[in-house]
Amino acid sequence: MNINYSVIAVSLFMAGATAFAEESKPALSLKGFGTLGASGMDNDSLKFRRDIKQGRGVDSGWGIDTDSRLGLQVDADFGNAWHATVQWVARNYTGDFVEQNLDWAFLRWRPRDDLDIRAGRMGFDVFMLSEYRDVGYAYPWIRPPHEFYAGLPVYHFDGMDIAQKFAVGEGQLTVKVFGGYSFNQVPIGLSDQADQSYTLAGVKLAYEQGNWNARIGYNYSLNNLELSTLHPLMNALNDPALGAVWPDASTLAGKMSSKDKAVHFSSIGLTYDDGQWLAQAEGSYIHSELDVYRSVASGYLSLGRRVGKVTLYTLLGISETLNDRTNVSTPLAPVPALLELRNAADLALNSNGVDQKSVSLGLRWDVIENVDLKTQWSHYWLGNNGSALWLRPATGAAADSVNVWSVGMDFIF
Amino acid sequence: MKTFLIALLLACVPAVRAEILVIGHVKNDIENLTAKQVQDIYLGRGRVLPNGKFALPIDQPSPLRAEFYEKLTGRPVEQINAYWARIMFTGQASPPQQLPSDDAVMQTVRENEGAIGYINKTSVDKTVRILLELD
Repeated sequence: MNINYSVIAVSLFMAGATAFAEESKPALSLKGFGTLGASGMDNDSLKFRRDIKQGRGVDSGWGIDTDSRLGLQVDADFGNAWHATVQWVARNYTGDFVEQNLDWAFLRWRPRDDLDIRAGRMGFDVFMLSEYRDVGYAYPWIRPPHEFYAGLPVYHFDGMDIAQKFAVGEGQLTVKVFGGYSFNQVPIGLSDQADQSYTLAGVKLAYEQGNWNARIGYNYSLNNLELSTLHPLMNALNDPALGAVWPDASTLAGKMSSKDKAVHFSSIGLTYDDGQWLAQAEGSYIHSELDVYRSVASGYLSLGRRVGKVTLYTLLGISETLNDRTNVSTPLAPVPALLELRNAADLALNSNGVDQKSVSLGLRWDVIENVDLKTQWSHYWLGNNGSALWLRPATGAAADSVNVWSVGMDFIF
Repeated sequence: MKTFLIALLLACVPAVRAEILVIGHVKNDIENLTAKQVQDIYLGRGRVLPNGKFALPIDQPSPLRAEFYEKLTGRPVEQINAYWARIMFTGQASPPQQLPSDDAVMQTVRENEGAIGYINKTSVDKTVRILLELD
């Protein structure tokens, strides 16, 4: 249902924009970006993926789905104050191919040179790179730092934002507030998918001066849906007949619930780039009220050096789940069916931890204007119950130390 | 091998680099622009000229484009393109329009009071106003 509403809203908006366009002869332009990438790893016990919206990953058999994508954007100017943008990205992600890959479709009003008001569908501006994760040409790495960005399945939201710019010192301060609603389809395990819906609001302060960029942000996301794949398990645990043999059962079902629970994203970031040296670091704390998605602290630091057309870089990343495991009690009557239920509850509540560190080395070579070639080696250390960002088999132990190799070509046009 | 030798030879000769002029309309009442003002306009940070008119910055194809940005910002053109990729694909602003030649830029500048362009110094004439010299 949600999909239909979004598509209808976008269509209406575009129809409106077109009608407006016919009156005032807009300046239309078509632009695009893309990446052709291949990656693989040295292990088959889990699969590497770019982020948790990807339901397919790569192992020692290489694949091109992880990073390859093609984005198309149409911009229309209606006079000096009005502008519309639509961006759609072809990528192999979970969910409806048309609706879920439509990342931008908004109308912008700029009543003054320093004030932007936008309504429609917009990128999710929660971390430094989150709005342009798909545009490989815009950053040095083969993909955004894994520990920081792989846990973020939300690419866009439908709503509104207001951005005001201020001249502060030698630089420019941007204050942006945004709010709306986001509908996402995410993979569950290797074969299933589930709907997620959030009501969200956020604020961002960004300061740009010379070689420096600083950003601080906060976002609040309230879950509107239960995870559909957990329904059967929750219903079974909520069965009143269970109360006598397993008093904790309904409490566990409550812990599994996502609805009306919130996730708070706080982050801070800093970049330096003087044309030769570049450095970028971000830190975040995601506080989650959900037991199926744990609070997590993450950070990365990258240093790079440009020599002519080549940029060499290194990247260190870390992400750690902070809450303790949920204690899942044993039923009073150890009947096999109940023990099976207990194990399923334990798996649902205690297999979503992130305990990951990595070091990467890579290079970007700007071959010709608007085309670059990249390659990157990453070594990941994964702790016990710490590989939630990866695709794992339902049973069996997964590796705790793996290498991922990638090559790619980014372009814009 | 021959090309390589020529390239090597050229690399040893002090590069003869064209001076670039930033130009505007003759009647725009602007004496000149600072490099910072031109940078703000060309990087989409400001859209209004000191005279209150909307700026219409005009780009050219490389190699002149690459040279212009390197002189103006001290950064290679790839970095400017990466910057614009971030700005335009997050729906914040659009890069300047590109025209094919000095003549085309001069023509547009003559016709628009808000237009700003850059051209080789050798192409300039009295029909446009020089706002900034880059060398």
